[in-house]
Amino acid sequence: MQHGVAVQEDVAGADPIPTQVRAARPGQDAPYSGYLLGAAYDEMFAPDGIVRAPYAALNGRISTLAPEELFRRQQACEQSFLHQGITFTVYSDKQATERIIPTDLLPRIVTAAEWDRIERGLKQRIAALNLFLHDIYFEGRVLKDGIVPRSMIYGSAHYRREMRGLVVPHGAYVNVCGSDLVRREDGAFVVLEDNLRVPSGVSYMLANRDVVRRAFPGVFRASGVRSIEHYPRELLTTLRSLAPFQEDVSIAVLTPGVFNSAYFEHAFLARQMGVELVEGRDLVVNDNVVYARTTSGLKRIDVVYRRIDDDFIDPLIFREDSSLGVPGIFNAYRAGNVMIANALGTGVADDKALYAYVPRLIRYYLSEEPILDNVETYLCREPHSLSHVLANLEKLVVKAVGESGGYGMLVGPHASREEREAFAEKIKANPENYIAQPTIQLSTAPTFVDGAVEARHVDLRPFILHGETTTIVPGALTRVALKRGSLVVNSSQGGGSKDTWVLNN
Amino acid sequence: MLSRVADSLYWMARYMERAEHTSRLIAVKLESMIEQTSADAEASWIRVISAMSATEYLPDDPSAFAITKALAFERRNPSSLISSLGAARENARQVREQLSTEVWEHLNRLYLRLQPITTEGIWVHQPARLFRETLQDLQTLEGVTFSTLSHGEGWWFLELGRYIERAQLVSRLLDIHFGIAAPGYAAPPPLPKYFDWLVLLKFCTAFEPYCKAHTAAILPERIAEFLLFNAEFPHSVRFAVDRVRDALANVAPGAPPARRALCERLAGRLKASVDFGQVDELIGGSIDKFLVDISDQCEKIHDAIYAAYITYGAETVL
Repeated sequence: MQHGVAVQEDVAGADPIPTQVRAARPGQDAPYSGYLLGAAYDEMFAPDGIVRAPYAALNGRISTLAPEELFRRQQACEQSFLHQGITFTVYSDKQATERIIPTDLLPRIVTAAEWDRIERGLKQRIAALNLFLHDIYFEGRVLKDGIVPRSMIYGSAHYRREMRGLVVPHGAYVNVCGSDLVRREDGAFVVLEDNLRVPSGVSYMLANRDVVRRAFPGVFRASGVRSIEHYPRELLTTLRSLAPFQEDVSIAVLTPGVFNSAYFEHAFLARQMGVELVEGRDLVVNDNVVYARTTSGLKRIDVVYRRIDDDFIDPLIFREDSSLGVPGIFNAYRAGNVMIANALGTGVADDKALYAYVPRLIRYYLSEEPILDNVETYLCREPHSLSHVLANLEKLVVKAVGESGGYGMLVGPHASREEREAFAEKIKANPENYIAQPTIQLSTAPTFVDGAVEARHVDLRPFILHGETTTIVPGALTRVALKRGSLVVNSSQGGGSKDTWVLNN
Repeated sequence: MLSRVADSLYWMARYMERAEHTSRLIAVKLESMIEQTSADAEASWIRVISAMSATEYLPDDPSAFAITKALAFERRNPSSLISSLGAARENARQVREQLSTEVWEHLNRLYLRLQPITTEGIWVHQPARLFRETLQDLQTLEGVTFSTLSHGEGWWFLELGRYIERAQLVSRLLDIHFGIAAPGYAAPPPLPKYFDWLVLLKFCTAFEPYCKAHTAAILPERIAEFLLFNAEFPHSVRFAVDRVRDALANVAPGAPPARRALCERLAGRLKASVDFGQVDELIGGSIDKFLVDISDQCEKIHDAIYAAYITYGAETVL
């Protein structure tokens, strides 16, 4: 072990964490002297500055380590990511540079009771969303009953009329879902958005665990953290449950290729599941059967876990300029000869405007009250909401319906007057394309920044698997806005990620 | 195995072999030049750069520094050390899930370590050391590959790439020493001297094995015989050809005999020419033709592998 005494103590110790720690107060004492508590809920400190119980062990460790030692451990985490090749490529004019998505040393902790609610809430949500997708691609009851306006479905860029009447196994349209949750000022978790198309980030959940567990083995053991190692196996089980037969199911992960920013994840999942990683050019369709081109000849593929967007998956049906896809795969899908996960056309249900209707969908299909709330959302397509939005731009976050990754949005309180006015014009020109939400003070969590522990805003993305049954591995990707005060956690906008510990009790 | 995966593994191994060869040439050259007169050293450097087909990346007045730079760190030169390693890594990245963690991380670390290095940075103090270390790293990687990867089809594609590349690199190197004048230069360079033959052996990591077989009597005919026809030495052409043939017997286990036929016939013919070659018939006569022919046969085998296993049309097998 090259990290010196402190780490050895951590590794070897029966319980090396000091139990008598002088209470360090946020905003005053090292290592928290730069830790500012604001209006947001803080994950680690109660408003009176007392450490919350689940963070006691972590506090015991970090408040007794020298800043240089924390820095060393942070560097070890980053080195590990670099050596494993967990990088994405940034293309600028001159050359391509590889960067790691910054990973934070300090874990974010979720208690058993909090997790229980999240898990039940997400299972309820995905059940309703799958029923909704089935409904709009078959009878359309929800439209006839006036719960959701027709124009919102048929006008959506993600509605696929090709999916009408196509039966998917177990009615499971969304097999892998990554929902973004945030914690409000009152401490309640609410859903900010659902990612129902090709959600990514699960490899970071697993990779973060790997490095952070190594950085804080003593705290990890003392805290009683639930394992997430079985995610690849659960994913495999979910994919397998889609096949019409259970003997010799041949599964493949379909990636756009090495230049995709999530390529590491595609390769990682294929390796961890022990299935082929294929690109579009590896697959050929003959007589509505999908084959992979192998050195020994063609090999039939039964289930495709695709990490390519709908638009690019089949140039014969969707975008004809796509070179990433597999010509003919959609007809093979229609013929029932290959299963595709997630099903096509799921994007219509994670539209930012449709999001506002999800609580109503839960009541409509399940006759239950939503367990997890939505963030209050104004649909600019509704005239009274539009005037409210335009009058209160400085308090709201406005998002374009079809965009993701933090693009096409206005964070009202942080924008200049000119930016707000320019954006107002865009909204007025095309109100259906925008929704607005109050700026939520995402909760803050301790984050190691420039040699000090400071509060930074975080969200939470658990991953839901849904095939014959629904499974949620007790863990999540916590994304963190590394800039002080920033509420934007997207990796494309300077966000990082944290390991997330779900506790046994 | 997916054809695309086989393709990447094959090229990954070829590029690693090329990187290893290049590091060894540079290390040996930097170490030996102090023993030579400047004219001899220059002629010998020019042989090195011709062997790597990199003359176009040189300034008009090539120095040891400029040649090292072109061979090691010039990114425009597709077979420079850094380009080869970069290409090996890119191929490895595309089949990351097929490799062991140890192989990938070793290769990735090696590349990341070399990537920021410049010729200027190493030139002041024992420049040869860096290339020796790189060579050792690459040899370690070969061992890591051998011991952490299953010796299944993927491993055989790596073998195939490595030894086809080796057969071509060694025959090219012999060609430069025994046959033609260095291309691109008006005056033919001086003929190799005793010391150059010694260096040739070191280029192929063959000095000690050669001495064991033939004593320290450095005779060009024996060197040619050793590097071409020795059946036991891993850097001889014959050894490489044997390995190519073994690898071909083990790839694509499910392919029907008809699809295997051409590759195996070509490999068998190449094996026959190195199994039954006679060095006394070649020296002073047709050795350059013989060496070029070996390289051409390797090309044909490469093409046949691609046609049979990698780029075949789907309609031909349905």
